[in-house]
Amino acid sequence: MAKPLLTLDSGTTCSSWNYCGERLAAGSADGTLSIFDFRDPACSSSLRSTFKSKIHEGNIVKVVWLPPEYGDAIACIFADGIMSLWEEVAEDSQPFQWKMCKSFGSSLSKVLDIQFGISLTILKMVAAYSDGYVRVYELLDPLELKSWQLQAEFQNVIDSVSAFGKATCLSASISWNPQKGGSQESTFIIGYNSNTSELNSSKVWEFDQAHQRWLPVAELALPEDKGDQVYAVAWAPNIGRPYETIAVATHRGLAIWQLGLNPDHDGILPVDRIVLLSGHEGEVWQMEWDMSGMTLATTGHDGMVRLWQSNLNGVWHQQAAFQPTS
Amino acid sequence: MPGGDGALVPVPSENGGSVAVYPLHHGLNPPIARLAISWSRGNSLRVSVFRPPSEDQAGGKVMEVKLSNGGDQEITDAQWRRIEYGSVLPFAMLQSRRSSFSSSSKVSKSPSPYHLDWWEYVIEYSKDISSLLGGRKLPPTPIIEEPKAIFKKGEEPTCLKAAWEMMEMFYADKQSQAWLPERLVDWLADYDTLFSRTQATIHSKLVDFQKDLVNIQAIEDDPRYWEVLSSALAVGWLDTVVKMLRLHGSYQLDQLSNREVENGLVEAVAVLISKMPRLRPESAVGKLGECFKSKPEFSKAWEKWRSQITKLDCSAFWIQCDNNQTREGLKGMLQIMLGNIDTIRMATCHWIELYVSHFLYIRPFTVGIESMYSLALKCIQWKPASNTHRLTALLIGILEENTEVVLAECSKEYGPWMVAHAVELLSAGSEQAEILLHEERYNLGGISIGELHRLIYAQVLSSHSLTWQIAPIYLTSCMKQGMGLLEILLHRQSVRHNELLLKNIELCRLYGLNHISSNIMKVAGVYHWKHGKKGAGVYWLQQAQDANRLHRIAQQLFDSVGKSISDESFRQWEGVIELLGSDSKSAGGLEFLRKYRDFKRFLQQVTGGKSTEAARQAAESLILLMKNPSTPQRFWLPLLYDSLKLLNWQDCPLLNVSDTNLLLNKLQELSLARLRPDFKESSLPPEALSCVRLALATNLGRAILDE
Repeated sequence: MAKPLLTLDSGTTCSSWNYCGERLAAGSADGTLSIFDFRDPACSSSLRSTFKSKIHEGNIVKVVWLPPEYGDAIACIFADGIMSLWEEVAEDSQPFQWKMCKSFGSSLSKVLDIQFGISLTILKMVAAYSDGYVRVYELLDPLELKSWQLQAEFQNVIDSVSAFGKATCLSASISWNPQKGGSQESTFIIGYNSNTSELNSSKVWEFDQAHQRWLPVAELALPEDKGDQVYAVAWAPNIGRPYETIAVATHRGLAIWQLGLNPDHDGILPVDRIVLLSGHEGEVWQMEWDMSGMTLATTGHDGMVRLWQSNLNGVWHQQAAFQPTS
Repeated sequence: MPGGDGALVPVPSENGGSVAVYPLHHGLNPPIARLAISWSRGNSLRVSVFRPPSEDQAGGKVMEVKLSNGGDQEITDAQWRRIEYGSVLPFAMLQSRRSSFSSSSKVSKSPSPYHLDWWEYVIEYSKDISSLLGGRKLPPTPIIEEPKAIFKKGEEPTCLKAAWEMMEMFYADKQSQAWLPERLVDWLADYDTLFSRTQATIHSKLVDFQKDLVNIQAIEDDPRYWEVLSSALAVGWLDTVVKMLRLHGSYQLDQLSNREVENGLVEAVAVLISKMPRLRPESAVGKLGECFKSKPEFSKAWEKWRSQITKLDCSAFWIQCDNNQTREGLKGMLQIMLGNIDTIRMATCHWIELYVSHFLYIRPFTVGIESMYSLALKCIQWKPASNTHRLTALLIGILEENTEVVLAECSKEYGPWMVAHAVELLSAGSEQAEILLHEERYNLGGISIGELHRLIYAQVLSSHSLTWQIAPIYLTSCMKQGMGLLEILLHRQSVRHNELLLKNIELCRLYGLNHISSNIMKVAGVYHWKHGKKGAGVYWLQQAQDANRLHRIAQQLFDSVGKSISDESFRQWEGVIELLGSDSKSAGGLEFLRKYRDFKRFLQQVTGGKSTEAARQAAESLILLMKNPSTPQRFWLPLLYDSLKLLNWQDCPLLNVSDTNLLLNKLQELSLARLRPDFKESSLPPEALSCVRLALATNLGRAILDE
């Protein structure tokens, strides 16, 4: 059932597949970035390394691919809080090369997570910083990944008046609404794992075109759970359901939320926690929806891969689990 | 859902409430530090496993896990693909018939399963699908060419085909609803061998006996001969029984005279068997038994036949028959034909065999699913099986008239292909089933169960590079969410390979997804542009009508052109400009580049020779360029500097007074613009401006004199 695709070098800490599952980027503890490509698109058999280079002093903790509309490019987050953008280009009939375009963050204000979304043909990058601030950048030139502009900066709180100065955040998780194109405003969800309870709960942010600002339109936490540290969030692709489905993982377990599509008069979207599932017994590392948004795959501290589905009656349950063994 | 199995996506699951845990063999030494997951297309999940850093050990493994179990182990991947490809046409045909059907009959929204014609389409579809699932069946009543061959070995039937035919007989084939029990008899004759894998069956008994047949001298003395005969008779394999009876030793010429009575009895039984009345329209050519379409006729014949058996049973000849084995064996067979439940139970192995013999000898008038169901339950009680066979589980679901169970069984045991295609049969079965399958449910995100199963099957197709192209056919038949999934599927195809890209775009065109194809072309354009294939990049961006990116490319071209106006490297841009020129509307300011290329060509001709004509053309082209508002200001000076030779043309002034004035004005404008802070100096020598001014002034003087 499981087919081995590739053996990774010692020290590899993270990996990420591109949009079509044809390229794999892997980061190492010593700051080495490796890119692997399938030899033949028809048979997904053998991957070969097409790039390997030490790009940073220190651990690469996360690799994120940019949307393919902006080329073959990745963002690497390093353990020291720096994040840099790299893209593959060929210049003047020379072979392809990975080049750094831009870097963000510092040791004072570390980049914890970033995700890219396209909103009205503009590429936006949401970055969660360790100081508790969410920064949204816009790409100015669609063909140049060097030129970014800070579009907005805010904290992940509903009440924008209060600011929390000394937040220390361990991690954050961002997930864009995967909606492709369309007229819908771009939205994303973000949750924090920090010492400031107000920042933690996952909130859905929507860009208010009229006033050119980001507004929180939903909070995915029960009133008593709002301070819970969030490990991971994942927004499911919506292929036509009359609601959005979002998974949020906290120490309480894995919650599946439904988000209504029509806001009330205050602009707040109705939310409903469908279920709280338990399984990983600890931190959830990653959550990924399949392309139909029907199956959620998760990994966590128990070292398992778990699959979650809803049955025909709409009851969510764990469908299967995979235990890595030698 | 019954059995707790309402799996949306068919990952292999086990019975019971606890979650099935599957090992994921990565071959690394423990410990494992971290995992990463990523969905590929469809149901394939990629898992990366990382170890903590250490010397001389691999750091991790990347694995691909296919989550669809394909349903059936008995069918190879290649066979599955043949089935998947083969079922596209019947499926598409039925869909198109459905849509033309519903458009022609406005009265009822969906084609009623009871509509006279509709089920005929369904049965045609069912036959087409069925023919894909395996070649020739095992001959129902084996043909014996060789006198001692009871069974001819046919192609091994599959459970998949058996299950499909079972559903066809119960749901789609409305014509044979009246003789369902008889169809079940035929079905078991075809597929009894499938039950042999888990337990003894009549088929396996026959096969075993046949193996030993060659070594047996007097067949009638072997108790197994009579055992096998009774068994085959019990499930109605009349041809086999009669053929086997004729192997009886009393038929041998040298025996005939002294075993006359014995032979007479054997033959009498054989004749009775071959005259057995059956309630069915007709049997296959050459098959034994007498068929009656109508019940009264059948009933009359049945009574007569039974009385003949009773008569034979009470005959005085039995006493004259001195072969004990033959006598007892034949008597036992008569008991089966008389419906003696004990004898029948002894003769049958599997409950389904007992079930079938009930229809033949005990309750030949059974009609209606309900009575068939209660009978099945009784048979299971009489012959409990250690484990439930997947075919009987399906049969029970059907008899129970529980569509959910049937769906769950199909999904669990036969996989997503089966469910997606069997929905058509099920919904033809009854109005309740149709409502159940096509009713939109909020829990499922506003789709029906039928659509859900198509989506699931399409996901399975999407997982494989050889089958993803047929997924759209199923997705487009989904009213609500198929297009959404199709869009995502198309987005997830690579643009690196031209063939795949063209296929992808073709699919978009076919299904009217222009916005998707333009996005795909955009991705392709950017990919090529960034990877040094400038021409292909521009081409695809133009196809995508991406004015924004084309504008940026034009800016880059300007920069490049502006830098090296007299340079040879201009040649490499020429092709791109040619491309852009073919559709200047979408390229915006790129119109300038086309004019610029013309100008550049004339200029090169001038450099080559001394033709005044060429120079004049070049000069005209220059004026056109300078007059054109789309020519960027920063090009003015480089253009004029390049044209110095024209301005200083020896033979005659090439520009008239008004043209020269125009150029002078432009130069003046440029001087003013230089004072602005955002002005970008060109890379020309510092004296360029004064050179041009001087040349223009000289030209003006000569032009005035000329006029």
